[in-house]
Amino acid sequence: MLKVGIVGCGKVADEHASQIQRIKGCEIVGVCDREPLMARQLYERFAVKRYFSDLMEFLGQAKPDVVHITTPPQSHFDIAKRCLELGCHVYVEKPFTLYGEEAERLIALANERRLKITAGHDDQFRPAARRMRALVESGFLGTGPVHMDSYYCYELGQSDYAGALLGDKGHWVHRLPGKLLQNIISHGIARIAEFLVTDSPHIIADGFTSPRLRDMGETEIIDELRVIISEEERTTAYFTFSTQMRPSLHEFRIYGAKNGLILDQDQETLIKLRGDRFKSYVEKFLPPAILAAQYLGNLKTNMRNFIRSDFHMKAGMKYLVESFYRSIVENTSLPIPYREILLTARIMDAIFGQLDAQRLARRPILRVGRAANPVEATSVASRFRASASRSRAL
Amino acid sequence: MEFDDFIIGRDDLILITGATGFIGSKLVQGLLKSGFRNLRCFARPSSKLERIEALCDRRPAGAHVEVFRGNLLSREDCLAATKHVALIFHLAAGRGEKSFPDAFLNSVVTTRNLLEASLRHGCLRRFVNVSSFAVYTNRKKLRWRLLDESCPVENDPWLRGDAYCYAKAKQDEIVVEYSKRTGIPYVIVRPGYVFGPGKTNITGRVGISTFGIFLHLGGSNPVPLTYVDNCAEAIALAGLKKNVDSEVFNVVDDALPTSRQFLGLYKQHVKRFKSLYLPHFVSYALCYLWERYSDWSAGQLPPVFNRNHWHAYWKKTRYSNERLRTRLGWKPKVPMAEGLRRYFEACRDAQPYA
Ligand SMILES: NC(=O)c1ccc[n+]([C@@H]2O[C@H](COP(=O)([O-])OP(=O)(O)OC[C@H]3O[C@@H](n4cnc5c(N)ncnc54)[C@H](OP(=O)(O)O)[C@@H]3O)[C@@H](O)[C@H]2O)c1
Repeated sequence: MLKVGIVGCGKVADEHASQIQRIKGCEIVGVCDREPLMARQLYERFAVKRYFSDLMEFLGQAKPDVVHITTPPQSHFDIAKRCLELGCHVYVEKPFTLYGEEAERLIALANERRLKITAGHDDQFRPAARRMRALVESGFLGTGPVHMDSYYCYELGQSDYAGALLGDKGHWVHRLPGKLLQNIISHGIARIAEFLVTDSPHIIADGFTSPRLRDMGETEIIDELRVIISEEERTTAYFTFSTQMRPSLHEFRIYGAKNGLILDQDQETLIKLRGDRFKSYVEKFLPPAILAAQYLGNLKTNMRNFIRSDFHMKAGMKYLVESFYRSIVENTSLPIPYREILLTARIMDAIFGQLDAQRLARRPILRVGRAANPVEATSVASRFRASASRSRAL
Repeated sequence: MEFDDFIIGRDDLILITGATGFIGSKLVQGLLKSGFRNLRCFARPSSKLERIEALCDRRPAGAHVEVFRGNLLSREDCLAATKHVALIFHLAAGRGEKSFPDAFLNSVVTTRNLLEASLRHGCLRRFVNVSSFAVYTNRKKLRWRLLDESCPVENDPWLRGDAYCYAKAKQDEIVVEYSKRTGIPYVIVRPGYVFGPGKTNITGRVGISTFGIFLHLGGSNPVPLTYVDNCAEAIALAGLKKNVDSEVFNVVDDALPTSRQFLGLYKQHVKRFKSLYLPHFVSYALCYLWERYSDWSAGQLPPVFNRNHWHAYWKKTRYSNERLRTRLGWKPKVPMAEGLRRYFEACRDAQPYA
């Protein structure tokens, strides 16, 4: 029986506890939070064995084999380091660490101690995402990816989160190097990182505070981000984070030289895009029918999974946790390669670095249609291109 | 209000948490009107202050209203806010939170912080904990029985599948626990559904809006309503009256409409919409099935509907305000008909949804 512990007993810990309890061959031996009341409430609701408010006591007395870290990101590195030093395998919620360098140190430590560590990029293990991976691996794209398009949006307006976050400058999100972005974008970036082959893609990032937030008096938080990622002039990717666009997409498109795929995370659908065209008018009639059939196929799959009771909102997390545990018990390969975790962290470093530089330089950011006259628009655009060519290679 | 009957004088410092909220702002207004001259309103940095600022502008001469900006999650803020305080009305709570930890954090951890801070200063004469009807189990009684202060609260409140119920039950628990341990004097006030201008939704006790249709579940059940001004006055009295320490007070008004009457009036005065009545045996069966399915599927559907929930919200129950009247001398000043009229009018103006 694999002994599991959870550090950090907030909202995300609830999701972990629910999914862990669905997995056979493991039990939650303890939960820990600096705030004893928070630890107690999780312990009480999930019938956990013990609760603690001191990390070292928890590690020493509950002796977990695996620790899930679900604390705010600022503490991920220190807690993960201690867990590894005391011989525990570690599952760290996203964002893995604050900086790429911390990610490197944790992975090096895990390797040194012959322990395993993973990042909570569970969206990549949802049912449709797994189907996509299988298709890519089977060569459906024809070649390696030519281009990817990853949307990871966030509806700020739907929650009271905006008000609380903006009103409270002491909120921990304000203290993250990438602020709001850092807490959210890693899922969408990791999707791209999974299919990059080099370790040093070029990154060009442009971000700004949306008019809505500016109207609320916010100047620091960037909630609109566009990123261009390219590697060795073979694979490119766009990443979009937006709080304003509708629909608020969580979508990933990947195109090879032959075919493409569209993954819609919200609708849990995967659509195959044919590279070949039909002749003449057939192209106008047959593809819509093929797409309709594919959507029906997705509907059938989703319903089948639901009826089998295998379609939980956090199905991706269960799959990732289960695969991680299996890799520990059977000493097999990890569900997320370290390379991908590191690359995700480095891309995020580069994005936040560029956004910081933009902010410090206070230079106008390219916004098409904003310029007073076309000449200005052109000059801003050319500056943007120039900065792109100077952009940091990782 | 007679000051001789009260545990504090008009110049003693009163702290009101949740003062920016729906009930809290009415409480501040009521206290000022009753002649209390030293109020401290706790507000978060993100709180909207319009309601409180409007009251400050109209406060009687000589009255002092301080807005204390902070977060009850911070022990330091609690310590500073409770300094010299003689009476605390604790209304702040995580009300909209759907997740258990968030609701717990903003209701229980905050309450513990306040209690501990008050103990450090040692000048508190009463802690008024505003709880809710949501904590009562209502499970063991036969139909058409009375729900009053003697009724049991949920033993395992998380089984209700409702974060608010869990947090409020735990909040009550921690107040009683602290009082037993430290002797801190407290009173618990449990309002039913508080209505009035400022709220536009229909209580879940009447029914729920889902997939474009309103499911009417209350039928002939009386709805435990209390008009916001009446409720605020009950809370004020529970804090002020002598010799009521450690007591619990339920707050409901007189002449409670049935769920069917309420819905009819709402449709007539606010907005017409389609509703479908589900008899009690049907809603019970659906809750039972949902509960079983949620169990069987290991939470593929979250256990938000279950038999505990049905008993608490849709079982036919009578309510009483007897203890409020006899122990505190409370009477609802705004009659039900007038309260409903003002509420519907405000709903109409606020573009309501069912
Ligand atoms: N309304 C009802 O029908 C009803 C029925 C029964 C019982 N109650 C109880 O009555 C009380 C007041 O209810 P309400 O309807 O007036 O609620 P409300 O309008 O939602 O107000 C809640 C208040 O709590 C404050 N708050 C929440 N978390 C806080 C924190 N961490 N630190 C400081 N302040 C915090 C909020 O501040 P912000 O302004 O910053 O959000 C707000 O002022 C609650 O305890 C509730 O459980 C209400």
